[in-house]
Amino acid sequence: MGLGSTIRNVVLEPFVQPPESELPGRATWFASTCRQCPAGCGITVRVINGRPRKIEGSPTHPLNRGKLCARGQAGLQLLYNPDRLRNAVRQNNGRGSREFEPMAWDVVLDLLTSSFQGLSSPEAVGFLGGLLPDHLHALVSVFLDAAGSPAPVLFDLHTALEGRTTAAALASRWFDADRLPIYDIANAEVVFSFGSNFLETWMSPVAQSVDYGTMRQGQLGGRGFLLQFEPRLSSTAASADEWMPVEPGTEGLIALGLGRIIVEENLGRSGSHREHSLMYRNVDVGAVADASGVSTEELLRLARIFTDVDRPVAIPGGYLASLPNGQPASDAVMALNVIMRRLGREGGVFLPQEVPAEAFSSPVPASSFSEVEELIERMQAGKVELLFIHSSNPIYDLPSWSGFQEALANVPTVISFSPFVDETAVQADWVLPDHTYLEGWGYQVVAPGADRPVMSSQQPVTIPLYDTRSTADVFLALADRLGGEIAAALPWTDEVAFIEDNTSQLLGSSIGVFDAPTPAGFWSRWRQNGGWWSQNSIRQEPEIARDLTQPLEVPKAEFDGDPEGFPFYLVPYEAILLSDGRGANQPWLQETPDPMTTARWNTWVELNPETAVHFGLTDNDLVRVISATGELTAPVVVYPGIRPDAVAIPTGQGHQDYGRYAEQRGANVMELIGPSHGTLNWGSTRVRLEPVGRSAKLARLESLDGEGRETVR
Amino acid sequence: MDERSGSRLLRFWWLWAIIGVLIIVAAGILLTQRAALAAPEQPIEFSHNLHNEAGVQCLFCHSNPMRSDVAGIPSVERCVGCHGVIATDRSEVQVLLGYWERQEPIPWQRVTEMPDHVFFSHQPHLLSGVSCETCHGDVGQMAAVRPVRRMDMGWCLNCHLEQPEEKVARLADCLACHK
Repeated sequence: MGLGSTIRNVVLEPFVQPPESELPGRATWFASTCRQCPAGCGITVRVINGRPRKIEGSPTHPLNRGKLCARGQAGLQLLYNPDRLRNAVRQNNGRGSREFEPMAWDVVLDLLTSSFQGLSSPEAVGFLGGLLPDHLHALVSVFLDAAGSPAPVLFDLHTALEGRTTAAALASRWFDADRLPIYDIANAEVVFSFGSNFLETWMSPVAQSVDYGTMRQGQLGGRGFLLQFEPRLSSTAASADEWMPVEPGTEGLIALGLGRIIVEENLGRSGSHREHSLMYRNVDVGAVADASGVSTEELLRLARIFTDVDRPVAIPGGYLASLPNGQPASDAVMALNVIMRRLGREGGVFLPQEVPAEAFSSPVPASSFSEVEELIERMQAGKVELLFIHSSNPIYDLPSWSGFQEALANVPTVISFSPFVDETAVQADWVLPDHTYLEGWGYQVVAPGADRPVMSSQQPVTIPLYDTRSTADVFLALADRLGGEIAAALPWTDEVAFIEDNTSQLLGSSIGVFDAPTPAGFWSRWRQNGGWWSQNSIRQEPEIARDLTQPLEVPKAEFDGDPEGFPFYLVPYEAILLSDGRGANQPWLQETPDPMTTARWNTWVELNPETAVHFGLTDNDLVRVISATGELTAPVVVYPGIRPDAVAIPTGQGHQDYGRYAEQRGANVMELIGPSHGTLNWGSTRVRLEPVGRSAKLARLESLDGEGRETVR
Repeated sequence: MDERSGSRLLRFWWLWAIIGVLIIVAAGILLTQRAALAAPEQPIEFSHNLHNEAGVQCLFCHSNPMRSDVAGIPSVERCVGCHGVIATDRSEVQVLLGYWERQEPIPWQRVTEMPDHVFFSHQPHLLSGVSCETCHGDVGQMAAVRPVRRMDMGWCLNCHLEQPEEKVARLADCLACHK
């Protein structure tokens, strides 16, 4: 006909230089690895005209088996984020000025070389990594070792929130192992989860969700039973058969009480418990009942649920680890698996099997918080002259009592490798942006998670959009310029040569899902498959390295803030979408409603209806949450799924920098956390509430933006 | 009398209104139809005619219709492959070289467009022997390319129904084209 639709102007912009072997109009799928969290799920990315369009779970990857979470799907918004740095920059008017001036990469390398050569001693280098790709950790470790500098320190808030270091310490104490335990949820009949939000963010949530589905769908002839101990009803608890909101800090005691009952009554079908009795000799079930508020009869009922089946398993989670008595409480939970003889059994506890290649055999160690504190002390004392920060945002992640920001002022040269101007990059002298994971190379040893040794490979699915440079290549170029021993230790021409060299160690392995006659052939199949893994399931049985005659004890949890001045337990929890805050610059993740409260684009304070009535508060009313350390103000969400004496606040918001979608939105719950040493006990703070007397409408799914407008922006 | 005839005319005001609207609509249709079949203004005055006379085949620049859904607009690199040395003094070629120097894509205006609700792929059409000219007209004779067909459903079907009997059922199926 006519009138309109046909006469519209559509611009067709062809490539200036087309990507190699690009066929316009046809999608190409690349296998790679998701790096939105440390789990290491396999992804396939649909690419049209050289541009990634969609990320999906890789169907052949043994970890996530074709599934992918919302955060994985949103990875495109890192790549196309309008707030990305487009080249290397330095701050003109000093740190914090936010006046960035572009630098050419050869100038960057000249400056880096001269600052490295100008160090008073190689000891004066610091490297702080967060969610560091495994290949980069390996390469930087070689570099620092050759230079005689201290090894990298790893810290990021996500790792702290999932209790990775506590889990590592647990494996080391019980099994003398350097890798994290795996709990075989798929084949378990009863799962007792002690504050582990394994369907949300803990460890490998996609793999665990698939396993949970298997457990629930009764593939073993019965529907599995899940019981969740935690003060707030998380998404995981909402999927459980029973939610036990016990007094915070007494979860470990309950595990201890259950163990005592099982041993004393000789419950279960796994034989005599005589050999375990010494572990429980100091445990008084009556005292456990008094302290936790769970009656002896109730404890007996729970013990029977746990022991009336063949395959129970108990999981010590991230919330448990965050408590002041997190370590002994985790011990008490692991002891339940030990006395039920669940180690190395179907539906029990395993250790990840080692990848049969030297380059991949030792897992990247999670640094304990004391190592982070040590680095801060060194910085404070002026012993660090050059600090590198990669994929970590400590100024946002760490409460101010850590002293990180003040210590940073004593470091003459601070270099950030962040692709975004985050809170820490603002305090750096130079920002040398790394590629995003869809543009860069890498690999990751998947542990824990899969039922077999898995190496997940990462490859570029597009040419880099901007003049960014891989951090591994920056270090290789630096080594080349420094010459001598450092150059000799790093003979690779670039990061790809380094990765290719490492992968060739897997060539000829008899257990692999593929092999090739030549390294070049192996390298091409490695990229095509998105990694390497064994053909069959191989799991390692943990061997007990702990003296079982030693009595278990869980001390009373000492919270920060006296109960009279600060009557509420603060329960921070990792937001399922924004996680530790790294997702806050991705609008899809901001827009997706929290599954339990439907709130979004903000921080909120969850109060029990009883508590809300006591303060005369209702939904959207602003409340000030005050701890002995700090305070924040946020709107209330009246939430029945929380203890009346607890207040829950999600992580992830309250960014001062980090791009337009993240900045000046909500508040950072880490500002409330009381001081702790050795481990970051983020669950050990008490708070009080003060109504502000105003309200601010919270964007929720059902109320659009609170004023009836669409919130999509 | 004047008064009466005036009121009689006024009595049929709605008739005049309808006629007025119809005239406007008809004029709109005619004008937009002309515009729809006009050659859009391009950032470079590119002549297909000139290239055709020089013996350049369609597939030399639009190289993908035999193997992809789209024929493809040539990259700036491909243009410069020849024009780095050929006719570099012409003003329009210099505009092209300007894009190349700035490493900018050329914002060509789309000439032929299929609606969003159909699947269309060049590949099966070319592989079954349909020539470029069948749908795009004699582009080789045009200085500025313009669409020559109204690519509507009737036009597609006319051709699909003329195909050999054993293929017609498949080619006339709604889902052969519609998403």
